[in-house]
Amino acid sequence: MRDKILFTLATVCAVILTWNIHTIFAEVPDELNQGAIFRIIYFHVPANILALSGFGIGMICSIIYLFTKNMRYDSIAEGVTEVSLVFATIGLITGSIWGRIIWGVWWAWDVRLTSFLVCWLIFAGYLMLRRAIEEPIQRARLSAVVSVFGTVDAYIVWKSIEWYRNQHPGPVLSIRNGGGMAPGMEAPLYWNLLALFLLSVILVMVRMRQESFAREIDSLRREAHSF
Amino acid sequence: MIYGLVAAWLVVLGYVVLLALRERKLRKELDRVRHMVETTKRS
Repeated sequence: MRDKILFTLATVCAVILTWNIHTIFAEVPDELNQGAIFRIIYFHVPANILALSGFGIGMICSIIYLFTKNMRYDSIAEGVTEVSLVFATIGLITGSIWGRIIWGVWWAWDVRLTSFLVCWLIFAGYLMLRRAIEEPIQRARLSAVVSVFGTVDAYIVWKSIEWYRNQHPGPVLSIRNGGGMAPGMEAPLYWNLLALFLLSVILVMVRMRQESFAREIDSLRREAHSF
Repeated sequence: MIYGLVAAWLVVLGYVVLLALRERKLRKELDRVRHMVETTKRS
């Protein structure tokens, strides 16, 4: 059943992505000031939205774990956080490429970029912490606390373009009262967000399956040691 | 622009490869442990 769901999601995701890449490259015109490079926004913004919201979901699962001690929430938190870190990496790299062409530098130490880098480092540390601790309950408890701290920074990243003057552009999407994109240019971004969301669901489901394998291995080992 | 697109998909591809390798390792380990448990039960 799970394989069928994965296959269906992957097919829908591939169809939307193919159609959308065609739209972005063949139908959307170049932006007046930035030229062709503005199209990077169609991957940069959805990747960052998914990364930051994924860190938030991870935090919610971590808090539920802390209250219920149900290991299932811990494994959801790990899966979602790992996939979100992949999208955060995409956000950092695509943003850096855009900055090199528009600003002339790969990196600027403004609040948005610096807080995002700190966020990336916190969640990379979260995954390293999980690898370092063998005992499952201690691992789940400590990583839940790191997830809560990391998500506070993720919220600062989200709001930083409203709170501070940045070299990074301010909000552009109309759903965030930005209004900086023409309607024909904005719609493909939401389609890409949907496609990347489906991709992230697929990756989290695969990650969860691996977690269930790991749990089965652990229980079989315990069974073997009890003989 | 194309560099951005390639970079984004390279990151995803790298992660998918990592997941596939991890899954293969876990399946092998699961088979090995299952076999070990069955052998121990029989003996």
